[in-house]
Amino acid sequence: TPPPAPAEVGSDQPPEALFQEENIDLDGEAFVTPDDESTSENMLDKLNDQMMESVMISDSPNNSEDDGVPDQDAPPKNIEGESTTGNKMQTESVQRPEDVPSPSSVGTQESPQDISKDTPKEETIPVCTIFSQGNQQKPQGQALVPDGFEPALVKSPSFSSSVETSNKVPPLVCQPSPSLSKFFTDNGHVNPASDFFDSFTTSSSCISVSNPNAESLPGAGAPERHLSSSGASSTPSATGQEPRTPTFFLGLSAPESPGQPTPAEATPPFAQLQAVFSGSDDPFATALNTSEVDRRYDAWLPSEDTRKVLISVATQQHSPVFVDRDSLTMPGLKFDNLQGDAVKDLMLRFLGEQAAMKRQVLTASSVEQSFVGLKQLISTKNWRAAVDLTGRLLTAHGQGYGKSGQPTSHSTDSLQLWFVRLALLTKLSLFQNAELEFEPFGNLDQPDLYYEYYPSAYPGRRGSMVPFSMRVLHADLPQYLGKPQESLDRLHSMKTVCRRILDNLEQGMAEDGSMITITQENRQASIQLWRSRLCRVMYSMANCLLMMKDYVLAVETYQSIIQYEPEQKAQLLSGIGRIFLQIGDIKTAEKYFQEVEKVCQAKGNGSTLSTCILMNRAFVYLSQNNYAEAHATFSDVLKLDPKNPVANNNAAVCLLYLGRLKESLGQLECLVQQDPTFYLHESVLFNLTTMYELESSRSTQKKQALLESVACREGDSFNTQCLKLVSS
Amino acid sequence: MDVNQAKQEHLLALKVMRLTKPTLFTNMPVTCEDGDLPGDLFSRLMKEDPSTVKGAETLMLGEMLTLPQNFGNIFLGETFSSYISVHNDSSQVVKDILVKADLQTSSQRLNLSASNSAVAELKPECCIDDVIHHEVKEIGTHILVCAVSYTTQTGEKLYFRKFFKFQVLKPLDVKTKFYNAETDEVFLEAQIQNITSSPMFMEKVSLEPSLMYNVSELNTVTSGERGESTFGKMSYLQPMDTRQYLYCLKPKPEFAEKAGVIKGVTVIGKLDIVWKTNLGERGRLQTSQLQRMAPGYGDVRLSLESIPDTVNLEEPFDITCKITNCSERTMDLVLEMCNTSSIHWCGVSGRQLGKLSPSSSLFLPLKLLCSVQGLQSISGLRLTDTFLKRTYEYDDIAQVCVVVTVVKLSIL
Repeated sequence: TPPPAPAEVGSDQPPEALFQEENIDLDGEAFVTPDDESTSENMLDKLNDQMMESVMISDSPNNSEDDGVPDQDAPPKNIEGESTTGNKMQTESVQRPEDVPSPSSVGTQESPQDISKDTPKEETIPVCTIFSQGNQQKPQGQALVPDGFEPALVKSPSFSSSVETSNKVPPLVCQPSPSLSKFFTDNGHVNPASDFFDSFTTSSSCISVSNPNAESLPGAGAPERHLSSSGASSTPSATGQEPRTPTFFLGLSAPESPGQPTPAEATPPFAQLQAVFSGSDDPFATALNTSEVDRRYDAWLPSEDTRKVLISVATQQHSPVFVDRDSLTMPGLKFDNLQGDAVKDLMLRFLGEQAAMKRQVLTASSVEQSFVGLKQLISTKNWRAAVDLTGRLLTAHGQGYGKSGQPTSHSTDSLQLWFVRLALLTKLSLFQNAELEFEPFGNLDQPDLYYEYYPSAYPGRRGSMVPFSMRVLHADLPQYLGKPQESLDRLHSMKTVCRRILDNLEQGMAEDGSMITITQENRQASIQLWRSRLCRVMYSMANCLLMMKDYVLAVETYQSIIQYEPEQKAQLLSGIGRIFLQIGDIKTAEKYFQEVEKVCQAKGNGSTLSTCILMNRAFVYLSQNNYAEAHATFSDVLKLDPKNPVANNNAAVCLLYLGRLKESLGQLECLVQQDPTFYLHESVLFNLTTMYELESSRSTQKKQALLESVACREGDSFNTQCLKLVSS
Repeated sequence: MDVNQAKQEHLLALKVMRLTKPTLFTNMPVTCEDGDLPGDLFSRLMKEDPSTVKGAETLMLGEMLTLPQNFGNIFLGETFSSYISVHNDSSQVVKDILVKADLQTSSQRLNLSASNSAVAELKPECCIDDVIHHEVKEIGTHILVCAVSYTTQTGEKLYFRKFFKFQVLKPLDVKTKFYNAETDEVFLEAQIQNITSSPMFMEKVSLEPSLMYNVSELNTVTSGERGESTFGKMSYLQPMDTRQYLYCLKPKPEFAEKAGVIKGVTVIGKLDIVWKTNLGERGRLQTSQLQRMAPGYGDVRLSLESIPDTVNLEEPFDITCKITNCSERTMDLVLEMCNTSSIHWCGVSGRQLGKLSPSSSLFLPLKLLCSVQGLQSISGLRLTDTFLKRTYEYDDIAQVCVVVTVVKLSIL
C-alpha cells in the first residue's frame, strides 16, 4: 500500500527539478486559436444551438467575486514571488461563446429530445479550456483511487473438462510438499490417515448420521484406487503408483460397487463411527428425533434435472444409475500446505532468529488429527494451520491433492470439511484459492450432493449434504474477486429457494413441498430457522450491494431486514445512517439516527442503546468537521462503557485530526498494552503504526515492539500488513 | 515515507500526512450455523472482533474509524488538509525552531502555516504539530514546501526543506445550453457530470443570476405540499453519472422593457455547486459567468402578445402582435398580409403603421380565420420599411389548433 503521505519528491533538491511538470502555458490554452474561430462560424449553421456548451469551472467561489470581465492577460509569475491577489484564476475562465443561436431557432423547433440526439457531436466541438489537461488525467485519477475492495488478482480458469484440470492448470499456490505426500503413503507413520476421520457429529448434539450400511461405504482412498481417469496420467499425487482403470460409467452409487478392495487403513474410522452409534441407549428414538432436525436443516429444493436423477436413484435401488460424468462433483485439493506464519517470518527478519524461536503457535501436526484438533486451531486463530489440517483430513477421504476430477463419494463430514476449509480460506482473504477449490462443486446442485443419491449409506435421509452456510459462502465469494453481479445472482436464487420453503411450511407442507405431517412445534422451529436463513441471504445481498456502491438498493435491502430481525432495528438503522454519511448526505443520515433514538426510547434505557445513540451523534459531528465535539462524544461513550474498543479507537483518531498526535498515540498505545485481546486488532494497529510513522523517524523500532506483543497472542492468521513493517 | 532515507545529520525529523477523512472499517462476515462443524466458533470469533457491530455482526459496515491509507485524489474546490509534525529525534534540546509550510501552485505561492513565530525550544522526543487547511483553487501540480530552521546546542543554525508534490484534478464536467422562449424568458439547462471515481452527494446546485434576471429553479416536482426532487430520493451522483438541472430566467421588469434591444453577449449568471463525499468531505465550485448570445431579431422584431391556442373552424379570432424597432434608426412601416392555404387575414393589407423610433414598439391587433382543421401555422405577415425599401417577412410565428365548433359537434 502506498504511504499515507504525499509522495515525497525529495529534500534539498534544486527546485528546477521539481517544477518541470508544472509550467502550464496559460496563454496558449486560454485563447481561442484562429483555427477554432473559423470552424465555429461554419458550425453555426449546422449545429444551431443544440449543443451543450462546455463550461469552465473557474475556481472556488471565494476567488471569483467579480470575474464578469475575463482578464486575458496572464503574465507568467515568478513562482518565488509572494502571492498577490487571487485573480489568477480569472484568466482560466475565458471561454468562447458557442451557443450563438440563429434567428430561426427562436421558438418552436427545439425540443428536449434533440439534446440526446446531438450529444455525440459534442465531442467534436473544440472546447476552449485550460482544463483539457484535467480530462486527460481522468482515467489516471480513477486508477489511483482505492475502490474499497481488492481487485481480482487471478481469474480462475474455467475448465472445459474437470478431468484435465490437474494436468492443464498448475496449482496456483504450491506443489504438494514431499513431506505430506510421504505422510499419506507411509503406513508406518505415527498418525495414520485412519485416525483423522472421526466424525464431528460425535460431539454435536443435534446432527448425527444414522447409517447402518456405513461399513460398506468405500473408505478413504478407495475410489482413487478403483477409479482413475485415463487422462490423468501425470497427476502429481500418490495415485501415480496405483493401478489405473479407465472408467466411463460413473454411476457410482458407491456402496453398490461390489468386491471393492477396501484399503486396510481406511476401515478403522468407520468402525469408530459404528462404535459411537452403538453407544446410544435408544437408537430408535434418537433416530426419529434427529431425522426431524436433519430434515429441517438439510432441506433444499434441487433443480428440475437434479430432482429427476434423484427420483430415478430412489426408484432403481438395485441397479446402478448412470449419471453423466459432468453432473458429478469431483473435488480435490488444489494446493496443500499454506506453510504460513507471517508473524514468525517478520520476527526472523526484524527481531532475529532467537526471538523468532520463541514464537509458539499450533500447527496442523501439533493437534489431534481430528475435528477436535481442527476446532482447536480455529479458536486459537491459527487458520492457516486449520486449512492444512482440513487438507489432511480430506486427503484421508480420497479428495486430496490432485484428486479433482476423479470420482469420489461424499458424506456429511467431507462436505463439512470442505465448508470449513473454504470458509477459512475466505477469512484469510485467499479468495483465488477458495474459488479454485469451489470450482468442482459447480452450483452446488449436482445430484451426488443430495442424501437421496446414497440410499444405502443414508437410508431415508433427504435433502442437501451441502450445508446452508456453504451455499452462502459460495454466493458471497465472487464479490471479493470483483464479480459482485455473480454474487447477486447466486444470492437471488438462494432467496427464491428460501421463500419457497417458507411458503411450503406456511401452507402446511414439509420444507420440500411433500405432504408429511409435522407437529406444530416442529413447524414453528422450521419456519424460524428458514426465516433466519432468508435474513442471512438478505444481509449478504445488502453487503454486496454496498460494496457495489449501489446505495439505493443496499439501503432498501437493509431496511427490509428489519421486519425479520426486529431486535436488530437500532443497529440496522444506524448502519443505514452511516451509509448516508459515507455518501456525504448528512441530513438523511440524521433522520435515520433520530429514528434510532426513537427505537431506543421505546425499548427503555439499556446502556448499549444509549451507546449506539452517542456513537451516531459523534459520527455526525465528524461529518461536520467538528472533531472537537466528535471527540467529546466518543469520550461520553467511554463514560458509560469504558472498555468500548470502538469509542476508544475513534476518540484517538479524532485527537489526531485536532493536531494532538502525542496524546492520540499515548491513548492507543496504552489500550494495546492494557487490553491486547481487544486492541491487537487490524484496524487499531493500522492506526497506531500510521501514527508512529508520522511521529518520528524511529517508527520501525516501535512497530517491532508491536510485533512482539502480536507474536505472543495472535495465531498464524494474523494479517501482518497492518503493522506496515514491510513496504509493499 | 521511507524512514531509512531520512537524513540522519539533522536533529529534527519532518513528517507530513494528508488528512483526508477517516474511513469506516468494513469486515467480511463469514458465518456458519451451530449445526455445522465449527459450531459456534465462527459466531464467537465475530462477536469478539471489536470491529463488528454488536448484535448485528453480519452488517458489513462497522463503526471503527481508520486513518487514511493513501494520499488519494484531491479535486478542485476541496480542502487540502495536512498534518505536519516536526519531531526531535536527537538527545539534545533544540532551539529557535521555525516551521514554514508553503503551497506552490502554477501561479502563486501561499503560506499555510498557522503561526509564523519560532518555537523557543524543543526537548528530545517532543514534537511541534500543525494541521494546515487550504481550499484548493487551482488545477494541476501543487507542491507543498515545508521548511524547518533551528539552532543546535552548539549554536549552529541548520535548515532543511522537503517537497511534497500532488496533482489537483477536475471533479466535475459542466455543460450548459440556453433555450430562448418566445417571451423574454430564457431557460438554462445545465448538465453536471461527476468525473471523480467516488460517489458525490450534490448538496447544492443553484444558479446565481446576474443583475438583469430573476431565476426560478425547475428541479422539483410539486406534489401536494412538499416539492419532490426530480432526481428521486437519493441525491448522489455515481462516478461518470450526469444530471440535468433546469432553470428559468426572467428579465427583471426594468430590463424587460429594453429586452427587445438586448443584443450580443449577455451575462446570465453562474452556477454554484456544493458537494460532499466520504464522511462529509466537502467541495465547492462555481462556474465562470455563463454567457448567452441574445437571439438576433434583425431590424424589426415581431412577437406575439396574445393568441388563442384553440380556435373554431372558419370563425374569426384576434391576435395581438408587438412590433419592436431593434435597429438604430427610425422606420416607417407598411403592413401587408398574405393569405396561405389555411390562413385568411381579415382587414386591409398594405396599411401604414406610421413611424417607429429605435427601441420603441407598437401593438397591433389583427383578425384572421382558418379554413382547415388541425394544427395550423400562422404565416404571411410582411413589414416594409419605406425609408430603406426593405421588406421583412414573418412566417411561422405561431400555431393554433383549429377545431370544428362545439355546436356542430353537439348536433352530430
